Amino acid sequence: MNNRLETFVKENRKDFDVFEPSAALWAKIESGLDSNKKKKPINLYLWISAAASIVIVFGLVWLYTGQMQNRDLEIADVNAAAAKRENQFTSLITEKRDSLAIFASANPDLYKKFTDDLLKLDEDYERLKSELPTTPNQLYVVKAMVKNREIQLNLLKQQLLIINQVDDYKRVNQI
Amino acid sequence: MHGSRAAQFQLYKLYAKAMYNVALRILNYEEEAEDVLQEAFLDAFTRIVDFRQETTFGLWLKQIVINKSINYLRKRKVEFVSTDEVSEIPDEISADEYDVRLQADEIRQAITELPDGYRVVLSLYLLEGYDHEEISHILKISENTSRTQYMRAKKKLKSILEQKGMRDE
Repeated sequence: MNNRLETFVKENRKDFDVFEPSAALWAKIESGLDSNKKKKPINLYLWISAAASIVIVFGLVWLYTGQMQNRDLEIADVNAAAAKRENQFTSLITEKRDSLAIFASANPDLYKKFTDDLLKLDEDYERLKSELPTTPNQLYVVKAMVKNREIQLNLLKQQLLIINQVDDYKRVNQI
Repeated sequence: MHGSRAAQFQLYKLYAKAMYNVALRILNYEEEAEDVLQEAFLDAFTRIVDFRQETTFGLWLKQIVINKSINYLRKRKVEFVSTDEVSEIPDEISADEYDVRLQADEIRQAITELPDGYRVVLSLYLLEGYDHEEISHILKISENTSRTQYMRAKKKLKSILEQKGMRDE
């Protein structure tokens, strides 16, 4: 008779489940199931649209800042002194180019050679400029850009000298 | 969807009464037991995709009911670990010497008069058929605590029954 209680309960297990839940309980569960069903798709839809809009906003911000960087980063943003020098060089370069253009009609072959050389330097300059926003050492690139302008200017000076001499020579020969 | 609603009602009809009594034995309050039952069925029906056929639906549902009931009890700040558990060695023989004639109604009534901690361990072991290892997982107590708590609950139950027997006679 060591486990009299356990044995008794086992044999009369049914007599221990005597209570009934209220009749209204199923209706409560049913309405809970209904609202669950309605809620879920809406929630999912909301979540997806929220996630999508976050992605779109971030995408736009990323694109915008990316373009801003590409467009707006100038030499002046990195080094003001370098920008000043670069400016001086560019205005001188335009001046010399205009002067060179005057001789163009007289010496078309020579002019073409000269402008090809300048074009190469210009390409280098644009390449440096496009590298500027992403480069780890911006000052280095800026210095190279200024140097490029300086070389352009010196080249133009030499070209002008040459073209002047050629022109003089031609004129003397004509006489 | 209509067919599944009918199936859900069949399951409800099949298990509601047993589950209600499980919850009621643990909680001792009809309103809370109904709340647990409602939540448990809702949970079971919405999570039925998680249900793997390792056990029966009834055992799975019973687990949900018991876990929810225990959570309700814990909200009432019931402690399942006794403070003096090691010192007292339960006296098994005396706990099983029932002089009174056992009657289901009286035992059931006596169980409701047990303190919360005793009542839960005793219900889980004696009526829901869990062993002490399973109870230790459910209540997050040691197996030994479950054993001693059960022995004490039995002792207490016996004294309640004896008192009643004397009063009745």
